[in-house]
Amino acid sequence: MHLKYESTLREPLVDGVKDYHQVTEDIISPIEGKPGKLWYVGFFISLALLGFGAFSVFWQIYFGVGVWNLNKTVGWGWDITNFVWWVGIGHAGTLISAILLLFRQGWRTGVNRAAEAMTIFAVMCAGQFPIIHMGRVWMAFFILPYPNTRGPVWVNFNSPLLWDVFAISTYFTVSLLFWYSGLLPDFASVRDRAKTKLRKLLYGVASFGWTGSTKHWQRHEALSLVLAGLATPLVLSVHTIVSFDFATSVIPGWHTTIFPPYFVAGAIFSGFAMVQTLLIITRKIVHLEEYITVGHMEAMNKVIVLTGSVVGCAYLTELFMAWYGANPYEFATFFKYRAAGPLGWSYYIMMTCNVVTPQVFWFRKMRRSVAVTFVMSIIVNIGMWFERFVIICTSLYRDYLPSSWSYYRPSWPEVGFYLGTFGLFFTCYFLFAKYFPVIALAEIKAILKTSGQNYKEKMEVYEEEPAEKFAHDVAHSH
Amino acid sequence: MEQKKYWKGLEELHNTDAHQEIVKNEFSEELPFESEGLLNATTPRRDFLKYLGFTTAAAAIAASCETPVRKAIPYVNKPEEITPGVANYYASSYSIDGEYVPLVVKTREGRPIKIEGNTLSSITQGATSARVQGAVLSLYDVARLRFPSISGTETTWAELDKQIGAALAGLGGAPVVLLSSTILSPSTKKVIGEFLAKYSNSRHVVYDAVSYSGMLQANEASYGKKVIPSYHFENAKAIVSLGADFLGTWLNPVEYSKQFAQTRKINAKKPEMSKHFQFESTMSLTGANADERYTHKPSETGAVALALLAAVGGSVTAPALDGRLKEGVAKAAKELKANAGKALVVSGSNDVNVQLIVNAINNIVGANGTTIDFASPSNYRQGIDSDMAKLVSDMNAGSIGAVLVYGVNPAYDYFESQKFVDGLKKVKLSVSFNDRNDETTELCKYVAPDHHFLENWNDVEGRPGYYSFAQPTILPLFKTRAIQDTFLTWAGNTAAWADYLKNEWVSKLGGQEGWDKALQDGIVEPATAPALGGASFSGDVAGAAAKINSAKKGGKYELVLYEKVAIGNGKLSNNPWLQEMPDPITRATWDNYACVSNTLAKTFSTQLGDDYEINAEKKVLKIKTNGKEIVLPLLIVPGIHPEVIAIAVGYGRGEKVGRAAAGIGKNAYPLVSYNGQTFDYFAIDATVEATGEKYPLGLTQTHNSYEGRPIVKETTLEEFIKNPKEVNEDRLELKKFGPDFRKDGTLYPNYSYPGIKWGMSIDLNTCFGCGACTIACQAENNVSVVGKEEVVKAHEMHWIRIDRYFSGDENNPEVVFQPMLCQHCDNAPCENVCPVGATNHSSEGINQMAYNRCIGTRYCANNCPYKVRRLNWRDWNGADSFENNLYDVADMNDNLTRMVLNPDVVVRSRGVMEKCSFCVQRLQEAKLDAKKAGHPLKDGAAKTACQQACGADAIVFGNINDKNSEIYKIRNEMQTERLYYVLEETHVLPSISYLAKIRNKDAAPKAEKEPAHKEEAHHA
Repeated sequence: MHLKYESTLREPLVDGVKDYHQVTEDIISPIEGKPGKLWYVGFFISLALLGFGAFSVFWQIYFGVGVWNLNKTVGWGWDITNFVWWVGIGHAGTLISAILLLFRQGWRTGVNRAAEAMTIFAVMCAGQFPIIHMGRVWMAFFILPYPNTRGPVWVNFNSPLLWDVFAISTYFTVSLLFWYSGLLPDFASVRDRAKTKLRKLLYGVASFGWTGSTKHWQRHEALSLVLAGLATPLVLSVHTIVSFDFATSVIPGWHTTIFPPYFVAGAIFSGFAMVQTLLIITRKIVHLEEYITVGHMEAMNKVIVLTGSVVGCAYLTELFMAWYGANPYEFATFFKYRAAGPLGWSYYIMMTCNVVTPQVFWFRKMRRSVAVTFVMSIIVNIGMWFERFVIICTSLYRDYLPSSWSYYRPSWPEVGFYLGTFGLFFTCYFLFAKYFPVIALAEIKAILKTSGQNYKEKMEVYEEEPAEKFAHDVAHSH
Repeated sequence: MEQKKYWKGLEELHNTDAHQEIVKNEFSEELPFESEGLLNATTPRRDFLKYLGFTTAAAAIAASCETPVRKAIPYVNKPEEITPGVANYYASSYSIDGEYVPLVVKTREGRPIKIEGNTLSSITQGATSARVQGAVLSLYDVARLRFPSISGTETTWAELDKQIGAALAGLGGAPVVLLSSTILSPSTKKVIGEFLAKYSNSRHVVYDAVSYSGMLQANEASYGKKVIPSYHFENAKAIVSLGADFLGTWLNPVEYSKQFAQTRKINAKKPEMSKHFQFESTMSLTGANADERYTHKPSETGAVALALLAAVGGSVTAPALDGRLKEGVAKAAKELKANAGKALVVSGSNDVNVQLIVNAINNIVGANGTTIDFASPSNYRQGIDSDMAKLVSDMNAGSIGAVLVYGVNPAYDYFESQKFVDGLKKVKLSVSFNDRNDETTELCKYVAPDHHFLENWNDVEGRPGYYSFAQPTILPLFKTRAIQDTFLTWAGNTAAWADYLKNEWVSKLGGQEGWDKALQDGIVEPATAPALGGASFSGDVAGAAAKINSAKKGGKYELVLYEKVAIGNGKLSNNPWLQEMPDPITRATWDNYACVSNTLAKTFSTQLGDDYEINAEKKVLKIKTNGKEIVLPLLIVPGIHPEVIAIAVGYGRGEKVGRAAAGIGKNAYPLVSYNGQTFDYFAIDATVEATGEKYPLGLTQTHNSYEGRPIVKETTLEEFIKNPKEVNEDRLELKKFGPDFRKDGTLYPNYSYPGIKWGMSIDLNTCFGCGACTIACQAENNVSVVGKEEVVKAHEMHWIRIDRYFSGDENNPEVVFQPMLCQHCDNAPCENVCPVGATNHSSEGINQMAYNRCIGTRYCANNCPYKVRRLNWRDWNGADSFENNLYDVADMNDNLTRMVLNPDVVVRSRGVMEKCSFCVQRLQEAKLDAKKAGHPLKDGAAKTACQQACGADAIVFGNINDKNSEIYKIRNEMQTERLYYVLEETHVLPSISYLAKIRNKDAAPKAEKEPAHKEEAHHA
């Protein structure tokens, strides 16, 4: 029993009448049963997309990166846009699992498992782009600093692209560890309930011999805390480093010192939006409305409106600096070719989706509407995709020398590659939703007795008691 | 004496059997082979090693890919003069269609790979053009004819000679006609003469696809000499060109660029330059370089000439011209008169009357004998249009016995080609000597292909007494035969052409020694240049004026046909380098199109702007004139007359001329007309309509303006004289960052360059934008051809491009050309972003690429402010290991074509970034040569390909650590006022400096700048 007491004024985090067993039933029984029709439909659509993506990538690798519509002026287009977008999406997972853990935010328990899974899948998708976008992908190992016989030749430690390699791989490793260590007790629960040999074997292996001893729990808690400590700086560093790809360059529109905080805020913004999208679908399909409550969504919507406004401020700051900085090239990039010009439409999509529409979340009614949240979550991710597109393409297509100005439209293999990563992401997510406990079982149990609805209701008796009576009762109970 | 024998023991002394056995097996050991078989063996060490060795070898053999066998055959007997890896140079000459360019050809291991100008020639002084640079690729053209043929089937030369001999004998006195383009070779002409002399009535008709007949005839009428004089632009202070594109396509542009450049070189100590007026209908390369430019309709060409004559004091009445044009004529006349004796008027018209009026003007302004030389005229064009017209009608009349076609292609480029084709059918004997199965050759029964000029001996006479020679730089690649040998054989002369030519010259030069020297130099010229000679003008000005005045007035739209700088008249159109060379004005590749003004384009609901820029698909127009029509996409060219449409000739070639040219563009020659005297390359009444279709054009530059950015700096001569420093005023701002901002302005370490530090300077005043550098670079550095589809995708590979910007009024724009190549920044943004360090800095200041290390992230290209980095988007050249992914639209990967590759420069595989290397292979060679010779590198010993090709010497390159080098002097002494760096404020520290452009025009009122000046004065 937790020593923590939570006021009944606070919304319960678990609705309905639940005890530990009921929680276990709710979360683990979908793993044991057959998936529904919808799951199959979704899974095979995802697989098809993945296949198409693989074909697009094959096409590009075989015939050369020239099958993409990138050109001498616009060297990065959908590839790096998608990379930054996917990396950004991953950020919510780390934020929820690490920072919210450190801040003891109980509501994270309902969503952290799925959010962390999303992080890992999103980073897997993100990682495809910088690798496949290379002209000679079979030489991709050159970017790893390993002892070699070519001199030895080392990587260029000045290059932000190299920093990316370290940042992303660290991020992926830590996120994976965090996720998996949280899964251990839950896998053990699945194992303990298993009625088939195979399931027992597989979950047994996956749970690393978890027995639930106090020692295990103690170590588990300690590990979570350590990993949270490690992951917290990553939330800030990964997208900071990604932003360095642009910020350290000389291209107007990229060369901007505001990028690190702006990118981090944008990443959290899009990450939370993606979590919303996924969880709204998941809670519906796996019937977890009592665990992923409207209260959870509201909490995340608050983060969305906050980070959306931070991003909006960054946009305006950029515009201001472009004017105030008196650099004619930067001024032209922002005011003539980003906010206007042939790619100007993308800027307005970005502004609308990221700055204007999220303002609806200032209204509680909107924050608590599942439908509005769902639509908004998609709008935000469209907006954030365009943010990266705007930064990359509208800076490149008309830079210093007007002789080289160009335009950019994606070709089918570029679109196919992007769709392929959706395929990868959702294939992984569908497998996750079927075979993994979608909600952190152990953690939800930990908060159940303080934040579960039926437990809160029990406390109401005491809440309604006058203070003197309560004190008197407690004093005489011994 | 007996040798004593010591024994080591009793056993040895007695030598028992046992001892013998021991001695025999002293070191032997039983080999521990197991006999029980492999499976139950205990695997002793030896077996283990044995199996290991076998399996490793087997695995290695099984696993190794099939390596292609490339035959590299060493010389069995090495020719004395050839050292593998060391280039040999031979003098040669380019004289295609009458252009005169003495050359030096670089050969490697017996293959010509690069053409340079011959600096010993006083006429061209080492200059070349894009077409001359590209000629080496034409040698390896896979579409070249490889053997003689009769009716399309291969034959032997002996059989061919036999049959033609019989055919010629059987003509029964019907005339034999040799139809050729202008031939500059005196010995060839002599051979031809000997051959034709054998047949009565025979004649030699010279037919130039783009004719200068009007000029020849006007000169005959004016001076009694049917010649083209030599021009001396270098002596002119005032130059007026009436539509003559003398820097691009007119007569011998290589020569004129060199001369003209001399009048455009300027510094603050000697602020003088010529003033150049251009009156024209379309926007030519020359017009783009003019100080003052005026447009008129082609029907007004004569009127402009007349008005100018009247304005300089000729006794004619000036016809009415519209306001701006009238003003321009008055200004030009004023300038001509002020510079009498240092003035020159040239005209691109093929009209006898216009040329006669131009002669009259030149006569008045004292050009004859000062800027125009009749004493040693030019041989560049010799065709008379009426001769050709007569030949065609004779052929149709059936009165011609034999037509021998040499270097011309009337079935394609004659204005009534069908008439020629019909006529040819009535000719008993038709022979073609052309190098490919072109439109005319495929109609000829006998095909006797000539050598490429790089395979042949020749002498070329540009002006009387000015000779340049050609010698084989390679054994003939195919079973072709020099046309001179062919004629000698048919004339019954048994001498081989090589001997014939040698004998000619040995006797002329007085001995073998003279001939050897002539071949070595490539040049024979008069010891002292003869004085320029004038000629007395006696033309019928009144008559010509009357004819001009009575000419028909133009319709609503008029049409002009022009030659493109790269493609010319179309003879070299199957040259992928030239096809992909961006047109200097339109920046378009691989097509011809209808050039229209923005005003005219608006009537078809399209105009300059973002939509036009970002969409390669242009609206297609149908243009009709004289009962003919042509369907072409429109391309907006600022500066073209609003009622004029300009179309380039040389496109629309047949399928058999080669893969690069086939099916590209449309043939515009049918739109030429014949005025009874000469061919008119314009039409004064055309109708235009949109077809509703669209067609993509491959433009390498889509945005026309430099948006007022300080990347191009220009001023007027007047301003420059007043305040030479003004053009670089904004550089003063950088001074406030301290004297050491080179070091202080960056986080990165400052490189020191203890030995050599390479630097380049490009003079915007003498860069005329001709593109010779682009093709020279392509040849030198094995730059790939990508084809039109990929140009549309902006995937072209050129290492040096010439940015062309328009400024000012869209109908009368000013143009500036800015060669742009890797700036070899000392604080290069590309270097620090490459994750694998594939691009890095040399101790000599070169930003270098390690292709093997590059993984193609394109980060460097994104971060390049100059956008000069080029990715190999596809496998252009077979350097990739993936099968069947080669992207080659122009036969650039044939084993034959690949002979043109420079073995000193690696061919880049796909996915790899590349860019200008400052021709590092040449720099290394020059340094090694200096080292071998034991002296420090001399200035000028190392030249980049672009520098060497530039006819105007706009590019200077050298070691800026050498205080005696030209580049050092330009930067620190000569040009400090004009010198600037592009995007200097980004602190990338480029190694290429530019010299601001100076226009010799009336200073524009500088309304905006005035207050700034006042403010400064206030502060002071």
